[in-house]
Amino acid sequence: MRYDHVTDMIGDTPLLRLDPAVHGLVNIDLYAKLELFNPFGSVKDRAAWSMAAPYLRQATERGDTVVELSSGNTAKALAVIAGMHGLPFKSVTNRMKVPEIKDLLLLLGAEIDELPGQAECLDPTNTEDPLTRMHQLLAGSDSGYLHTDQYFNRRNIGAHVHGTGPEIVADLDGRAPDYFIACVGTAGSSAGVATVLRHHDPDVTVVGLVAEKSDFIPGIRNIDEVHEVGLFDPGHYDSIETISADEAIDGLLTLVRRCGILAGPTGGGAYQGAVRFLSAVDAQLTERRTAVFIVCDRVESYMSYVRERRPALFHQPARRHSTRTITAEELARAKAIDVPDAQRWIAQEGCVVVDLRGPFAYQALHIDRSINIVDELFAELVHGGLPFGRRQPVLLVCPVGEKSARYAALLTRMGHPDVRSLAGGIIAWRDAGATLVRD
Amino acid sequence: MTPYLVPRTEPLLRSALDQDALLHQLVDALGSPLNVVLPGQLAENLAGFRAVLDAHRLPGEVYFAHKANRSSALVRELAAAGAGLDVASLGELQHALGAGFGPARIMATGPKSPPFLALAARAGVIVNADTLAELSELALLVAAHGLPRVRVMVRLSSFDSPGVNVMSRRSRFGTPVSQVGAALDLLEKHADTLELIGMAYHLDTMGLPEKAAALEGCLKAMDECHQRGLRPRALDIGGGFGVNYLADGAQWESYTTALTEAVLGKRPPMTWHGHGYGLRNEGGKVRGTLSVYPSYRPVAGAAYLDRLLSTVSPSLRRPLATLLLDNMYDLHVEPGRALLDQCGAVLGTVLEVRDDGDETLVRLDLNARDVSIEEHGVLMDPILISRPGVAGGEPAGVYLLGNLCLESDLITRRKVFLPARPRPGDLLAFVNTAGYLMDFRADHALMQPVAHTVALTREHGAWRWCLDERYWPAADRGEAA
Ligand SMILES: Cc1ncc(COP(=O)(O)O)c(C=O)c1O
Ligand SMILES: Cc1ncc(COP(=O)(O)O)c(C=O)c1O
Repeated sequence: MRYDHVTDMIGDTPLLRLDPAVHGLVNIDLYAKLELFNPFGSVKDRAAWSMAAPYLRQATERGDTVVELSSGNTAKALAVIAGMHGLPFKSVTNRMKVPEIKDLLLLLGAEIDELPGQAECLDPTNTEDPLTRMHQLLAGSDSGYLHTDQYFNRRNIGAHVHGTGPEIVADLDGRAPDYFIACVGTAGSSAGVATVLRHHDPDVTVVGLVAEKSDFIPGIRNIDEVHEVGLFDPGHYDSIETISADEAIDGLLTLVRRCGILAGPTGGGAYQGAVRFLSAVDAQLTERRTAVFIVCDRVESYMSYVRERRPALFHQPARRHSTRTITAEELARAKAIDVPDAQRWIAQEGCVVVDLRGPFAYQALHIDRSINIVDELFAELVHGGLPFGRRQPVLLVCPVGEKSARYAALLTRMGHPDVRSLAGGIIAWRDAGATLVRD
Repeated sequence: MTPYLVPRTEPLLRSALDQDALLHQLVDALGSPLNVVLPGQLAENLAGFRAVLDAHRLPGEVYFAHKANRSSALVRELAAAGAGLDVASLGELQHALGAGFGPARIMATGPKSPPFLALAARAGVIVNADTLAELSELALLVAAHGLPRVRVMVRLSSFDSPGVNVMSRRSRFGTPVSQVGAALDLLEKHADTLELIGMAYHLDTMGLPEKAAALEGCLKAMDECHQRGLRPRALDIGGGFGVNYLADGAQWESYTTALTEAVLGKRPPMTWHGHGYGLRNEGGKVRGTLSVYPSYRPVAGAAYLDRLLSTVSPSLRRPLATLLLDNMYDLHVEPGRALLDQCGAVLGTVLEVRDDGDETLVRLDLNARDVSIEEHGVLMDPILISRPGVAGGEPAGVYLLGNLCLESDLITRRKVFLPARPRPGDLLAFVNTAGYLMDFRADHALMQPVAHTVALTREHGAWRWCLDERYWPAADRGEAA
């Protein structure tokens, strides 16, 4: 397929029927609307383009900065769109909670403003929240900003009224599905699609999913926050249900591992929420039904989010030479020498002094003629084998002598005959009044 | 479901609250309100902070931020336990010296009046300098009186951050980090009177990224010192570690959801005059933010410090604790609120219970300045301590009115749900209020009395009490039964 503009590739995403063997629904065909196929990676490409496109020419003439309150996909899409039109983009956010997304936004050239955290001591005279103040600042006309205002902008819903909704109907041979399930962030996608589906069939059941309050799911609101969303109208939904971060990750794993859909957490949440809701319905059905849920974006940006909650999924193969495998006996046998002995040894034997601390600290002060190999790097080197000749005596130095002792034990196990650890570390060295230099 | 917000109480505080006969006797004798402090809890809290420093192998001192409570018993107990003290006024400094803190364990923080600065210099405590002008003033003072060199730290502010722009509320305190050069010029000039021992910050925020940026800023300032041949070796990262006030996170979540619904008119009001705690209803949408303390905080106190120290520095790419250790720095902290977790309660007598339309009003013999939970936005229920021998009534939702003849004097604007309807003569205990919520603002408005404070201690299972000002850690122990 040929295109002239990347923005023409927004929309027309696939609708994929999932294998019943995976979801277990007997009477319901479950379809995933694969919004992760949009060019910038998410359902928000549609909203971003719909909100920004009509104003880009004017913004370019005036040299405006595009600005949005977003810490995720909308920011990503707007950063690309703004960049392509030579406009700066600023994302204002409460908290950038997912580090990969932060890095990606910086890579795309976005500027990110993180609003301050809540004061530890409440200031009762400060009743205005930073977000509201930001809104007022942006609302002033001729402020030099193109504020896309995704939580209130009807064009956000419009993107789905004209795109996502009709696409689903067309792919189901002109019929609305019986059930539609979507996560609610700005409510743009769910409200837009629901509007179209209801128009075709007033009986369609629409389920909106929000996050449980105990943990966040990046991209969507929780049950309280959703009431702050200007586009949110409870009338669009037959029911609003909550899903937990845990369920979202369960769903993500099913989609990723069993369906070949590399979905992010809200896609997983929508799947899990859909199956939970539909399972209850399925048992009572006597005829076939169809259901659609939205997969909003891709999994790759959420590695740290998933790792934090499911570390076991990322089990690393055991390292061959690792200080983790050092036993208490090995540690006890490793040679450690105190500061005066170390000073003598350095002077007489010309041993290599390896400082395992970080470069920032090493630059500030270190033992004269020592070399700096920061512990993380040293671990990598040792993993591959002994990084020194056996005839080269080595003194290992770390802050308090614990890490260096473990490495001394490891290198000894690996066959080095004369590696020692500075007992008490560089702190003992300093406290003994021995010389430290910066050069 | 009844929207309870049950306070978190650990064994010592819970056991003290179980002494209903003793508590009633004390209030009968000393009047309502009555502050109760539990010096016996401090050792554990202190150990919690020290354990985090130890786990990261960081030497350093825990300086209790005195401003959180004026009790002598608490301060004397901390002196005996070997803690440090952060004093922010002349009175607090005098109190510290009188409680037995040696000068090396006293840190004078905040902006200082001339007598405060002079006594700090003469006593030889560490001066955590708020501004450059204060450093100059201190240098002159030391020179003029021929005093020994004074140890100083420089409190920094207005840190910048790499990558994203981490905004911070502007602070009135400290020297902007952009002026570190000027500060060091001054310190070099006054090297004979001032000894730089390190850099400091305190940020009034719960935001970890802001604190990580500040800590990183201090590390870089320390590096500037090293480049000039100065050898400071301590960082003081202030307080603000927070307290978890509630027993149950689920209660907090459903309460705040209910509050949002009440603001939207979807359920009956839960507050006096429909107060929204910062939330308001604009055309069916909730606007504003919930301006209350997050009363349920799963990561608070020493655990928050641990979280901060484990945070990877955005620009130096190692955990903050590792960077501190690599550089051989000591780490000082100044917890106020967090060190007083579980250390006390305010007791108030129920004067009157009356039904007014649909509402039940409970008038107490204390006011919103005697227990400032509302001012601090801490939402937690009081505990009912019925008069011994009196059976409790049915559960009730009540409003708590204070003893000032002012429309605004509510102890909290929340309707508070109690497991039993209180009766005149019962006590309500506002627990876990030792940090800032006790008599921080108490005064004699309307000539109402200010609370007495008693220290409660448990020895061999028996509870004993003494007036706060008469409490001395060792002396009191002697007569234990
Ligand atoms: C990952 C992800 N999922 C779901 C949504 C929800 O979409 P909408 O804003 O249309 O409700 C968003 C929106 O930001 C998102 O980023
Ligand atoms: C300099 C300084 N240190 C420590 C604290 C104690 O803060 P917290 O009670 O939140 O721990 C404060 C509080 O205002 C402060 O100003």
